[in-house]
Amino acid sequence: MDATAKPRIHRRGTYEYVMWAICLLIAAGIAYSLITNPRYQWDVIGDYLTDGTVLKGLWLTLWLTVLVMLIASVLGMLVAIMRSSKIPPVRILAIGYISVFRGTPVLVQLILWFNIAALYPNIRLGIPLTSIGVKLDTNSLISAITAAIIGLSLNEAAYMAEIIRGGFNSVPKGQLEAGDSLGMTEAMKIRRIIIPQAMPTIIPATGNQLISMLKETSLVSVLGVADLLQSVQLIYARTYETIPMLLVACIWYLIVSILLNYPQSKIEAYYTKSRQAIRLQKVEPVAEVPT
Amino acid sequence: MTEDVTPPSLEPFVPPGMGKADGPGTVHIRSLVKSFGPHAVLKDINLDISAGEVCVLIGPSGSGKSTLLRCIDGLEQIDSGVLKVNGEHLGFREEERSFKPLKRKELRVQRTQIGMVFQQFNLFPNMTAVENVTVGQIMVKGTRKAEARERALRLLAQVGLNGREDHYPSQLSGGQQQRVAIARSLAMEPQVMLFDEPTSALDPELVGDVLDVMKGLADGGMTMMVATHEMGFAREVADSLLFMADGYIVERGDPREVLANPQESRTRQFLRKVL
Repeated sequence: MDATAKPRIHRRGTYEYVMWAICLLIAAGIAYSLITNPRYQWDVIGDYLTDGTVLKGLWLTLWLTVLVMLIASVLGMLVAIMRSSKIPPVRILAIGYISVFRGTPVLVQLILWFNIAALYPNIRLGIPLTSIGVKLDTNSLISAITAAIIGLSLNEAAYMAEIIRGGFNSVPKGQLEAGDSLGMTEAMKIRRIIIPQAMPTIIPATGNQLISMLKETSLVSVLGVADLLQSVQLIYARTYETIPMLLVACIWYLIVSILLNYPQSKIEAYYTKSRQAIRLQKVEPVAEVPT
Repeated sequence: MTEDVTPPSLEPFVPPGMGKADGPGTVHIRSLVKSFGPHAVLKDINLDISAGEVCVLIGPSGSGKSTLLRCIDGLEQIDSGVLKVNGEHLGFREEERSFKPLKRKELRVQRTQIGMVFQQFNLFPNMTAVENVTVGQIMVKGTRKAEARERALRLLAQVGLNGREDHYPSQLSGGQQQRVAIARSLAMEPQVMLFDEPTSALDPELVGDVLDVMKGLADGGMTMMVATHEMGFAREVADSLLFMADGYIVERGDPREVLANPQESRTRQFLRKVL
């Protein structure tokens, strides 16, 4: 620190004191109500927070979230590449996919997938226009959990495709021209130039989607999939302790989102500073060449 | 600047000691036209560049220098005319009655034989200096990694970047980045090198290093086309100087003669402003 360096000063104005007072007042009010209102039934919440059924539901919610995000990322990448294609039919296919899956409510999509047998009672796997293949009963093929995975993944893939395309568009045109000039193919440019450079834009947005997806999975409870929400619903259907059980679910959703928030903010900070700047610290500083 | 320039009917200038033969390291252009929408950028370009020639392009911004170089590198498709680089029609195969477009693969092979250096360097920021130089060799030419790295280190040494091979572009100065970009192009073993204002984005004190590398290339017999505002480089290194305005080649000749005694009024006007 040199002699001209000054300490950081944080001057508190009247405005800040007033805001602190309001903040504390609101917090105290909420705390008072939470503690004194017996209808919250904190003892019930405490009993069921680590109940076996609830934990099983939580586990399903967690793996469903991760699985859906994995499938959606891979599918979304594919759709994004198709969406950026120079060939019109390929592009139109991707645009159509995104419009349909982003333009209809995910809850409706889930119910539709669950009832797909009403549209297609049988699914035949085989070569079209020949008799080779096997005929399968749709109802036995698409269970509630498969419908949940398919519905959420296909919907999320449409959002991921748009996020990934946004990342692709953030790569400067000159980078692609440099690739062209070296004689690279489209696939080479995507792999070595576009994807690595688009990642700083894509990854933070994907983290955000992951946190949303954690809560979006609660929709699968309408299909009777025993996720976190469905598990607490099963319990309060029996005990009529509706509010405490819903709070049990909320507490778990909140805990997991906050846990996911931490790496998310780290990742965002990492990519804001840019990968290269981080790497800079590992290499000795560059001495300018004397001219 | 709206005055119309009549295309001067110049005898194609051939620098002394250089032939007009076709083949590797040559560029031949006849009646090349290139428009962006309704805006004609290159109106009637006729040009012969011999193997080993260093041709400097000057002219006001918007005169078409960049577009001409980008056409020669295949980054822009020409509307009409003949464009032969390294003795081959760029992007087309001449058949008895017509031109057939080349397959993408064949076009890529042509492109590896033409090197391009951009004003904004366009180095890949996600790769180190040496990776920037090896990526084309490994992916496009299928060179073995060790061999590609060896050549990359040799080229980086040639452009004066010994010991900088593991630095990322963001850790290098503009002049160093541009020299990596030159090495990256050279790694593909091109027969023609195009430079699109290679020193315009650099701080003045870094220009010299880049020009030295380019001078070294010229001395090594590389065919070079250089769009630049560095008149000193033109005077010292170039075999021919080409003045472009409004999409035409207005004047072409020996650089020292043109700079000292321009024949066309447009050239005189331009040189008065920049010299």
